[in-house]
Amino acid sequence: MRVQFVLQEIWIGLRRNLTMTISLVITVAIAMALFGTGLLIKMQVDESKGYWYDKIEVSVFLCAKTSSNPNCQKQEVTDQQRQALKAQLEKLPQVADVQYENKQQAYARFKERFAGSKGLVDTTREGDIPDSFRIKLKDPEQYKAVDQAMRVQPGVDNVVNEQEILKKFFKILGGLQFAALLIAAIQVIAAVLLVGNTVRLSAFNRRRETGIMRLVGASNTYIQMPFILEGAIAGLIGGLFASVLLVFSKIFLIDNLAGDVELVNSLGVSHLALVITVSICFGVLLCAFASFLTLRRYLRI
Amino acid sequence: MIHFDNVTKVYANQQRPALQHVNVAIEKGEFLFLVGPSGSGKSTFLRLILKEERPSQGHVHVAGKDLSRLSNWKVPHLRRRIGCVFQDFRLLPNKNVFENVAFALEVIGKPRRFIGKVVPEVIDLVGLEGKAHRMPDELSGGEQQRVAIARAFVNRPMILLADEPTGNIDPATSIGIMKVLDRINRTGTTVVMATHDAAIVDAFRKRVVELEDGRVVRDQSRGVYGQAY
Repeated sequence: MRVQFVLQEIWIGLRRNLTMTISLVITVAIAMALFGTGLLIKMQVDESKGYWYDKIEVSVFLCAKTSSNPNCQKQEVTDQQRQALKAQLEKLPQVADVQYENKQQAYARFKERFAGSKGLVDTTREGDIPDSFRIKLKDPEQYKAVDQAMRVQPGVDNVVNEQEILKKFFKILGGLQFAALLIAAIQVIAAVLLVGNTVRLSAFNRRRETGIMRLVGASNTYIQMPFILEGAIAGLIGGLFASVLLVFSKIFLIDNLAGDVELVNSLGVSHLALVITVSICFGVLLCAFASFLTLRRYLRI
Repeated sequence: MIHFDNVTKVYANQQRPALQHVNVAIEKGEFLFLVGPSGSGKSTFLRLILKEERPSQGHVHVAGKDLSRLSNWKVPHLRRRIGCVFQDFRLLPNKNVFENVAFALEVIGKPRRFIGKVVPEVIDLVGLEGKAHRMPDELSGGEQQRVAIARAFVNRPMILLADEPTGNIDPATSIGIMKVLDRINRTGTTVVMATHDAAIVDAFRKRVVELEDGRVVRDQSRGVYGQAY
């Protein structure tokens, strides 16, 4: 009896102000989709950061005859300089591991890495990539100290930090994430206000019923429950629409971006499912809570 | 059953008190007319019994309980034991007679089988046999008030409060309504009826409490409406 009665009341409430309900559902859907997209981007950034930071190396390129750096004076690096540099690198506290890579090895690695771009491989000859020390850092953020220490040493042509290249990409993702969350926050405010208005209208439409309920001694929860569930159901429907939007944003935004920058590990279905669950729950709770707050003002018990 | 113990009620933003030092004791099973001109405090009296308002001074006891000590979440349980009837009936226009009466039981969570048994009995008691499936706008004023009384009584309250129940009804029909209230009173329910229908008060010869400017100016068993009589 109770359940059927409450469901009936909710249905009447939602149908009576259908336009309000629709606008509420749309607002919640957009808010939750943006919120979820923000979460997805954050997850992608975290995942990729972990993956890439693990592999990131600082390369110290040594002088070759073709180097344009005046530090090299058009001289090939000497064995003595090489020994000194290696010893110095190994002494630096930030350095975890030092590997020497000669021209042949560098060329082989280059060919392997860019095997897909035949033109690039064809125009590059062995010897174009100079000898280098490839350095793994204990903390990838501390590359600056290494850079400063090594750049001025005799025999060093250039110090390249791979992190710099990735940083740009992460910055773009970070910006997108911020934008998505900012718009989501604005939409959340709109959703809360809309819930407030919807519930207020609903309470006004049903003032006869609630008046009688009060009079015959219905409990407060019993009087409030239809209104709160009304909000929660609108939130749920909005959340379901949002999950569809989230699947799209995963496929068209995140996966595309990830594909462009060769992010090896894109997010899996489990991540998406988690984000969708969180978004739907957030939408439902948000609406239910907003209803509850409004009721306290417009439904005298 | 109902005790007003030196009750004064002053509404916010109003100088003149709605009730002043009211002392009234109503016993179980009594039938009491509350009379007096508009604004004399009759409605405030009834609202205090329901704890819709709380007294500025003094105490109201209902069924042995001091209402000022009754916590808010227990108020619904108090109201389940008090039935209410109003001048304007307050029926739900989109529900038929049966559904209107059943509503009072549904919202306090009574099981369907119980409702199906009790509601027809009460509809018969108030004299609406065979009209259970009529909508309120298909009924006369008197019949609508009978529905309202059925709804107030369906949960077998200890107390029935009626605020000018015959105010919108012609005198001939009012007698019928009064007979229903009298029948309810005979089941042991305490009835408090606010009215300024002199003919009815005079005809029924029950206890009369007269209010004037918030004061009890008369409390008479088997009384009449005006002192001039």
